[in-house]
Amino acid sequence: MAQPLRFNCMHFMPYAHLPENHKDYKSVWVNLSNKHYDPEKGHALYQRYLAELVLADQLGYDAVVVNEHHNTVYSMMATPNLIAAALVPQTKRARICVWGTPPNLMLPNRLAEEYAILDVMSNGRLEVAFPLGTGMEYWANPVSPATARDKFRESLKIILQAWTADGPTTHYGTHYTYRFLNPWPRPMQRPHPPCYIVGTGSPETIDIAAEYGFGYASVFVTQERCRELNENLRKRAGDFGHTIRPEQLPILTFVYVAETEERARQEYVPHLKAFFEDYVRTTPQYLAPPGYLSVDQLKIRAAGADKMHGGFDFDLISKSFFIAVGTPEKVANQLGHWAEWMGSSHINAVMHVADMPHWKTVKNLTLFAEEVMPRLRKGAPQQIAAE
Amino acid sequence: MFKREELSVDGVKTVVHSAGAGEPVVFLHGAGTIDGFDFMAPWAEKFRVIAPYHPGFGESGDDATFTDLHDYVMHYLELFDVLKLDTVNLVGLSLGGYLAAKFCSEHGHRVKKLVLIAPAGIIDPQHPILDVLAVPGDQIVGLLASNFEVVKKRLPERPNLDFIGDRYRESGTVARLFWEHPTDPKFMRYLHRIKVPTLIVWGDEDKIVPVQHADTWRKLVPHADIRVYKGAGHLVHLEKPEAADAIAKFLG
Repeated sequence: MAQPLRFNCMHFMPYAHLPENHKDYKSVWVNLSNKHYDPEKGHALYQRYLAELVLADQLGYDAVVVNEHHNTVYSMMATPNLIAAALVPQTKRARICVWGTPPNLMLPNRLAEEYAILDVMSNGRLEVAFPLGTGMEYWANPVSPATARDKFRESLKIILQAWTADGPTTHYGTHYTYRFLNPWPRPMQRPHPPCYIVGTGSPETIDIAAEYGFGYASVFVTQERCRELNENLRKRAGDFGHTIRPEQLPILTFVYVAETEERARQEYVPHLKAFFEDYVRTTPQYLAPPGYLSVDQLKIRAAGADKMHGGFDFDLISKSFFIAVGTPEKVANQLGHWAEWMGSSHINAVMHVADMPHWKTVKNLTLFAEEVMPRLRKGAPQQIAAE
Repeated sequence: MFKREELSVDGVKTVVHSAGAGEPVVFLHGAGTIDGFDFMAPWAEKFRVIAPYHPGFGESGDDATFTDLHDYVMHYLELFDVLKLDTVNLVGLSLGGYLAAKFCSEHGHRVKKLVLIAPAGIIDPQHPILDVLAVPGDQIVGLLASNFEVVKKRLPERPNLDFIGDRYRESGTVARLFWEHPTDPKFMRYLHRIKVPTLIVWGDEDKIVPVQHADTWRKLVPHADIRVYKGAGHLVHLEKPEAADAIAKFLG
């Protein structure tokens, strides 16, 4: 490990009160009626989740991470910049990562403005990621999935122009026209806050990250695939004259630490099971609205979906994805190994999932900060890799 | 019996199936292509039947710059020039009916007779068109006809990746045109410009474009001959041979 690892605390902020008959619904996204949303419960959850992210800052996590989803119990952050704004005055050291708002779902100048405001308010602690947005977001918003990729590219160009060029500038494009692109304020960090592209590995999103020299945050892809994508990005970025640094390749990991392996599993696995079985449950139609994927990608994914049979199997899923559950020593070794293997120095750790109660989240956050992070920050990397 | 021809129309790969000789009858298919062109085979005894695939559908190529229906009007002007067709008889089904009517309202001098089969395009808040983009693909096939047999025989025995991919591609083309703006409020305004002899056929059990839209067509194109077939769904021309015969008789 050439450089010390960085640790994020990522939170999905799920609405953890699924209706009793939720198993009857094929999807908990897009069309699950919001009549099931209780604002009183929502209030309590916001209070709690914000406190958990504030605690992460106090415990020494390098960053807190929020993101955006619509029409779902999976996330209560339809507008993550509001959450980030609430975190700014309550946190001191941690970087604030909005990973992020799909640019297609907002006017690009407005997104550039909101991010700049957060960056200035937080004294340069903002990091942003640009997702195309899941297929589900396109069912929830009045934006065509068929022209999404083209629009996404144009939005990115506008946002970067707004941040880096002295205004007023103009933009005359296919989807947007700006006669006076001149947002006040501009970001604190120059030329702009660190940027990542979020994706599930379609060649199109990899290419965008490569072109801009941005980081790439893979989500919901297997360990092997994630490594392959990092490799692809490094190569493609080279074609554009960029070198991707290890901290630009966050590894999305699900982490739970406890005193013993057995206890960790006992305390964690039911919530992880709920996450995979219930909170991400959606339909192929919602995942891939018309025109959202190329036909080739659609076929690859449809073929993959055919192979996914049977229910939740913790051991199997732990081998496929980055899931580290166990004693501090085991988790540290696993994360150290993954970082080495992936050529990354950036652990993006999900410390709460699904209906996990507050006490477990606090325990997990604390044990990880006090027992895992120090091992990896000053540990013997060669030895860890050898193990 | 159909001859397959691959053309480049303003740079877009366009595949045209045709048969027979005589006056040209051009069929504009709907938002999917599983229903096929074979129903026109008997017409080839009297006409030169021409069945092109629209860009983004079936065997034709894609063009991402086609973002509204007018791009298809222009495409057909180009295609008719390429085929050296001065005037044509135009038959359009569903989305293709919408397109045929739009073409005819703009370029009536290129159309001899117009046939619309369960045409889309009308805005009727009391009887909205089914938003096919919002319906899962495996459910749409069941809504296409009252007699499912006419659809079933055109489906693969079990869904395969190529079939799924082909349908996904076509729905992507439809999304490119209609996701953000499923209707064009200006379309109905110019329908009175349709002056050529017009036949409109509908199944009274149509689950995609409600048969009540026939009343609006009657108001906007008063000279149109409108025939409604009992017990038929959206693919009335496949379900009711007498509907296909009526079209051929009207054209001939």
